[in-house]
Amino acid sequence: MATYLVTGADRGIGEALCLQLCERGEDVIAACFEDSSTLAEKGAQIEGGVDVTSDAAVQAFAQRLIGTHVDVLINVAGIYADDSLGELDLTNVQRQFEVNALGPLRVIHALLSCLDQGSKVGIVTSRMGSIADNTSGRLYGYRMSKAAANMLGRSLAQDLKERGIAVALLHPGMVNTSLVPNLPESVRIQLIEPEVAARGLIARMDELTLENTGKFWHANGEVLPW
Amino acid sequence: MATYLVTGADRGIGQALCLALCERGENVIATCLEDSPLLAQRGAQVERRIDVTSDEAVQSLAKRLQGTRLDVLISNAGIAGNSTLGHLDLDDMRSQFEVNALGPLRVVDALLPCLRQGSKIGIITSRVGSLADNTSGGMYGYRMSKAAANMAGVSLAHDLKGRGIAVVLLHPGLVRTALTKDVQGDLVEPAVSARGLLARIDDLTLGTSGTFWHANGEQLPW
Repeated sequence: MATYLVTGADRGIGEALCLQLCERGEDVIAACFEDSSTLAEKGAQIEGGVDVTSDAAVQAFAQRLIGTHVDVLINVAGIYADDSLGELDLTNVQRQFEVNALGPLRVIHALLSCLDQGSKVGIVTSRMGSIADNTSGRLYGYRMSKAAANMLGRSLAQDLKERGIAVALLHPGMVNTSLVPNLPESVRIQLIEPEVAARGLIARMDELTLENTGKFWHANGEVLPW
Repeated sequence: MATYLVTGADRGIGQALCLALCERGENVIATCLEDSPLLAQRGAQVERRIDVTSDEAVQSLAKRLQGTRLDVLISNAGIAGNSTLGHLDLDDMRSQFEVNALGPLRVVDALLPCLRQGSKIGIITSRVGSLADNTSGGMYGYRMSKAAANMAGVSLAHDLKGRGIAVVLLHPGLVRTALTKDVQGDLVEPAVSARGLLARIDDLTLGTSGTFWHANGEQLPW
């Protein structure tokens, strides 16, 4: 039984990860933006009010966890907004950078003292953050924030290697969650359910070692390009 | 004679680019955070107080340039910082994101009406913003902002291809400027870097749009 901490556990992929981890008997700390009665019922330790953009909230959270050893920290909390040239809203780009790129850094940095030799860190970014895979343009804020998050993971992998902590960047797949509310039906039918994504993400974290640290994985096991 | 606009022309690489362009007889619009009497002397049109993080400053620049056709827009303005795990300064990281990643996007978006079929955009990022090339870690703010800038450039390349505008991401090399005053080792002079950067932009076509080059002509990985 290992201790897993998941951010953005209120719903979607974060919630699905926590449910499966509870199911397999792990100790689960579910860091929620608000709250999750579902996960409390399943035996997770709920930490409410963990807004990953708030120094105060993340510091208070870290304070509560002093002395707790975290085996696996999975950063899921993220937001999505569409944008395109000519109608660029830079405040939207800034907001996505705050949550998607600085969010994981703030959390990981605050919780470093809970991580130890053998601990693992997963950052759920997105294939949309792959520069090599950007063949359709647009989505400035989302793509830029996720590329920045991938870079964060690259530096962390280097910096944490000597402490024996491995880092994986993760693409969950195109998942049917509240992040993508207004998709056309032709796209929506291609989405996978959060449970399917969560199963793959957990498998990737299980396979993560110091040897393959700093790589970018599709939940389905494929290695993705930068 | 083509019209070039260069941001961050006050000093360093931006200034060297403008000097080389004036020398070869191009029309040069040098946007400066503050000012550049030197470039004014060389015949450049100096646009003062263009802070690329300011919507207002960039919008007013776009207004003044209404009706001007830009053949080449070089986004050069950038800052560096050094955030390590032991010394994280999120405000400093945010500033780097503002200048290095949002800056080029703000400038390109505002100046789009000045760009036409055949125009080119160069965005100076850095090899430090290459994910594949990150084998030493650290430098969180700089690396993340430059990776984000590379991503913006690739989206721009796709979005502007239909209008016949090509975009290139550029690594200037390790250049002796105010940004690298604490860096030891073999640094190249701004004039040398500028020569390479201009060669890369000269070579840029719609076919190579959206790629990432070292000033020395080597193609870089993402």
